[in-house]
Amino acid sequence: MAGLQLKDLRKDFGTVEVIKGVNLQIRDGEFTVFVGPSGCGKSTLLRMIAGLEHISGGELWIGDTLCNDVEPRDRGIAMVFQSYALYPHMTVHDNFGFSLKLARVPKAERDRKVREAAQVLQMEHLLDRKPAQLSGGQRQRVAIGRAIVRNPEVFLFDEPLSNLDAALRVDMRMELSKLHQQLGTTMIYVTHDQVEAMTLADRIVVLNGGIVQQIGTPLELYKRPANLFVAGFIGSPKMNFLDITAGASADGLTSLDSADLSGARVRIAETAVAPGTRGTLGIRPHDLRLSAQGAVAGEVQLVERLGNETVVNLRLSSGKHWLAVLEGDAEVGVGERIGLDFAPDKAMLFDTDGQCI
Amino acid sequence: MNRIRKYALSALAVLFALVVFVVPFIFIILMAMKDKQQASLINFSWPTHFQFFANLIEVVQARDYMLLTAYVNSTILTVGSVSLLVIFSAMVGFVLQRRVAWWTPWVDFFILAGLMIPPAVVPTIWLLQSIHLFKTLHGMVLIEVAYNLSFAVILYRNFIATIPRELDEAAIIDGARPLSLFFRVILPLLRPVTVTIIVVQSVAVFNDFVNPLYYLPGKENATVQLTLYNFQSQFVTQYNLLFMNILLITVPPLIIFLFFNRQIVAGMSAGAIKG
Repeated sequence: MAGLQLKDLRKDFGTVEVIKGVNLQIRDGEFTVFVGPSGCGKSTLLRMIAGLEHISGGELWIGDTLCNDVEPRDRGIAMVFQSYALYPHMTVHDNFGFSLKLARVPKAERDRKVREAAQVLQMEHLLDRKPAQLSGGQRQRVAIGRAIVRNPEVFLFDEPLSNLDAALRVDMRMELSKLHQQLGTTMIYVTHDQVEAMTLADRIVVLNGGIVQQIGTPLELYKRPANLFVAGFIGSPKMNFLDITAGASADGLTSLDSADLSGARVRIAETAVAPGTRGTLGIRPHDLRLSAQGAVAGEVQLVERLGNETVVNLRLSSGKHWLAVLEGDAEVGVGERIGLDFAPDKAMLFDTDGQCI
Repeated sequence: MNRIRKYALSALAVLFALVVFVVPFIFIILMAMKDKQQASLINFSWPTHFQFFANLIEVVQARDYMLLTAYVNSTILTVGSVSLLVIFSAMVGFVLQRRVAWWTPWVDFFILAGLMIPPAVVPTIWLLQSIHLFKTLHGMVLIEVAYNLSFAVILYRNFIATIPRELDEAAIIDGARPLSLFFRVILPLLRPVTVTIIVVQSVAVFNDFVNPLYYLPGKENATVQLTLYNFQSQFVTQYNLLFMNILLITVPPLIIFLFFNRQIVAGMSAGAIKG
């Protein structure tokens, strides 16, 4: 087992720089998730760790070894691909044992290791089948099994669940979590699905445009996003934003001015913003509640009733759309004008550069 | 009415195929069984004297067992050139598809040129002579490989494009070096194309007449198609023997085709890559 250290890691394809200097320390045994929108460089970063992409600059340390120019097979890693990439002409047994065969492990030992891995994944009865005879979830497990057999120091997952249907994805997510507890190996997981990121990760790395936006535990990212991008990306539905001008501060509460707000206040340090400072207010849909004299008012455009909660799409007077998630089966109708309020300490303020205040 | 028309059309198609493909073959068999006098009439008739084995023995013994030498030569030529062709063209196709570089368009150009530009005989002979490969069987093997390489490379390359690159990457992470990646992962997946190439090229090489005629002269080097040419001048009045010879050299490609035809269909319907 080993931790990883990425020092100012860079990647460019010709003149296009995709990874723009990533510094990251992943502890031994940690489950780290790289998350970001498509094209943010998360898969490229993973492939650089795997050795499938050449590293243009910086250093990659796996354990105590500088791995920039080490062959993938010698890095002590195993990777699970989005498309599973199972060898179609081999049985599950041979798929599992392929790496051992290449390493010239004796047949008896190979067989034992394959059976051990199959036992961990509860698929001993499928060892003689070919990948084409397996369901999506089973194929996924074969891909994971192939990684386990290698007994790697680091597991790499490249969006492994995105080919599965919704129900199976939830199951496999839990299995992955269990597997991590069972094996205790360092795991790096790439996804664009922030629910997967929140549920699986010990720590999340949010990437955008090849730059690390924030590194932290799931709850840190949710409660204290470093900037507008992280605030908007983590959390579902998305956080609501509104351009504001800061007003006077009193008793630790700062009042906010905007055409869409009346009497809204947030709790931030009094010295943080001078009156007249422009910025962005961020408030999560779950932190809004119905209130006739609320700070925000708007016309209901759409109501989605999920039973335990109601998602309301609201049009503010400036034409901006906000989402509110209300408890239970809230009595609001389309076209109705409603008022919403929020607690001052739930709101977040961002400066004009998008950094959290 | 509709049904009758459908069956009538099917029957017509079967009949047409029968006339085009089976009747000539039956004609060859019948002619091969006749005696000299009846064969000289060259007509579609039942043999009056069956002398199938007598004809067979005479053809095999003719010109100091030339037909047997020719069989050995043709077998070496076919097996050798098709094996090399499969391995080389699959490798070239793999590299061209997977490793795109500045020189790839040039290689593409030469491959297409190999398909389009007809081979020049005299310069080739001159080249073969200067490297001492003229009139040798291994020289002939190389010629057949060179002439058919373009076609096979194009077939392989297009098929390799359908194999997801992640499969290569998974194998690389599993510890496969380039050669084991190719031989253990990629080549087994190319089975449908390989079978196609084996069938098409073995029949083409086995039946090749012109190239051995130019590049492989000499009695001891004769291939089966050349025996036909030699016999034609010798047996000009003995059509029964000529047709016996035709029969003998038609059978091997027919067997190859019948045997592998199933494999082609099986390979194609299995859909080796999907999933």
